[in-house]
Amino acid sequence: MLEYLSIIFSAILVNNIVFAQFLGICPFIGVSKNLESAFGMSMAVTFVMAVATAVTWLLQHYVLLPLGLVYIQTIAFILVIAVLVQMLEIIMKKISPALYAALGVFLPLITTNCAVLGVAIIVAQKDFGLMHSVVYAVATAIGFGLALTLFAAIRTQLALSDVPRSMRGVPIALIVAGILAMAFMGFTGITIA
Amino acid sequence: MKSTMATMTVSLCGLSLLIGAALAGVDSLTREPIAKARENMRNEAIAEVLPDFDNAPSAQAIYTEDGQTIFPAFLSGRNVGAAVETYSDNGFSGRFTVLVGLDTLGCVTGYKVLSHTETPGLGERMCTWFSEAGTTHDIRGKNAPFGVRADGGDIDAITGATISSRAFLEAVNRAVETVANHIDELNEISQ
Amino acid sequence: MKALGIIFDGIVKRNPTFVLILGMCPTLGTTSSAMTGMSMGLATLFVLICSNVAISLIKNIVPDKVRIPVFIVVIASFVTMLQMVMQAYLPSLYATLGIFIPLIVVNCILLGRAEAFASKNGVLLSLCDGVGVGIGFTIALTILGAVREILGTGAVFGYQLYSADFGALIFVLAPGAFIVLGLLIALFNRLYAR
Repeated sequence: MLEYLSIIFSAILVNNIVFAQFLGICPFIGVSKNLESAFGMSMAVTFVMAVATAVTWLLQHYVLLPLGLVYIQTIAFILVIAVLVQMLEIIMKKISPALYAALGVFLPLITTNCAVLGVAIIVAQKDFGLMHSVVYAVATAIGFGLALTLFAAIRTQLALSDVPRSMRGVPIALIVAGILAMAFMGFTGITIA
Repeated sequence: MKSTMATMTVSLCGLSLLIGAALAGVDSLTREPIAKARENMRNEAIAEVLPDFDNAPSAQAIYTEDGQTIFPAFLSGRNVGAAVETYSDNGFSGRFTVLVGLDTLGCVTGYKVLSHTETPGLGERMCTWFSEAGTTHDIRGKNAPFGVRADGGDIDAITGATISSRAFLEAVNRAVETVANHIDELNEISQ
Repeated sequence: MKALGIIFDGIVKRNPTFVLILGMCPTLGTTSSAMTGMSMGLATLFVLICSNVAISLIKNIVPDKVRIPVFIVVIASFVTMLQMVMQAYLPSLYATLGIFIPLIVVNCILLGRAEAFASKNGVLLSLCDGVGVGIGFTIALTILGAVREILGTGAVFGYQLYSADFGALIFVLAPGAFIVLGLLIALFNRLYAR
């Protein structure tokens, strides 16, 4: 139990995927203009990341490793993620139109979200067990959600302020992200257990 | 091109075959160089931390149950020490691995940090800090147990990175202990 | 002449980092020094040239509906080849860049150029586009890496300009990546607006 708590804490705050590992920056900057879509995106990423990590884990341990095909890991993982996202989109549309209405628009964007592929590769590199991997993936996605939501809240405020012309848009957003990253650095070195 | 079931199937299958063949080809060409490059990196690291030897330490390596590796070194049949690939989980940002060279008396002959995620400019300085000649934090030629000054030891910790320093010395102590625990196996190899 | 124009456009007018703002993850993650930034740029340049050429060659025999999956597979296979070659001949560089090499697959620049340019133009022009955009990306990463390295450690490409004791470490750490990139984009906007 304590082991899982420590993974969760570390993945959300200490090794935050956006601020410490630089993954998932594109949606972090692209979908953070308002709070609502930021929240939707975080939920969609959490869902996809959990499923994708479980599936790529099974692929790695039951297909690639036994067959000695680890060298095609990258191509196999990205294909699985792309197919999975498509499938989720179709299933969601059929089973839960409400959920699809909320998260559907974000799904196609997730295929090229490097955080999803990144987590699948990190999990394979670190040789985690299945349960361990899924917990790590969910916690990482929550960390992503936290970063995205915080950032979106700041950006809605930022839209009202008078920023020098060449700093408007992405530049000032990046500097705000830098300050947030500085705040998150305060968590480095903290461990549970 | 128009998308019919036939064109889609043919083009996707053709592409998969082509790419599968290309990747298998590159793999067969690079498999050996990759293995050799890994071997070289390891051998260079071992040569860096130990005095002269003339055997192939990685061929005679002992793998312990807890994931460490001992590489015994010999010069004209005589044991001159061993390099231990060891780790610490108490680094400032998690696990790091380090290769520690020890002579037959258990004194440190050198070390090399193999992988780490410590803070650049702070914890990262452990890569060179503990082998800066003529300082009180040079651990070479000294014997375990090592400890930072704050814990009553006699090694100066890196300024601003006591946790990393403590974890580093913990790894070195672990290396010494591992060799002591496997001394019988090591003697068996030398005979 | 047109070819040269396309290369130049890729470097300046369509600079992937400063103008299009694409491929942010490797841009921030691998630029703690000028050397690593440049290496990452060159790795991306290699894949970009190969994938642009391959896609413009096969553009006429790929059915429209499966276009995107085909592009992704082509890009992913070049990335995989790059991974194998780097592991064999540049193992220490491969270890430094780490996870960002396989992640070239999901770099939006590659799929973006495939979709927007290579799937509509001939081989030679696609090659030029790949070279231009790739060089633009490499230059951007090298500049970012150099600025961070100079401010953070007082060195650039390993040459010590002033004592590391006066370096502001924050620029080498994560927050510095965001802040320096933000300021560089602002500077580029300012110069470009003139």
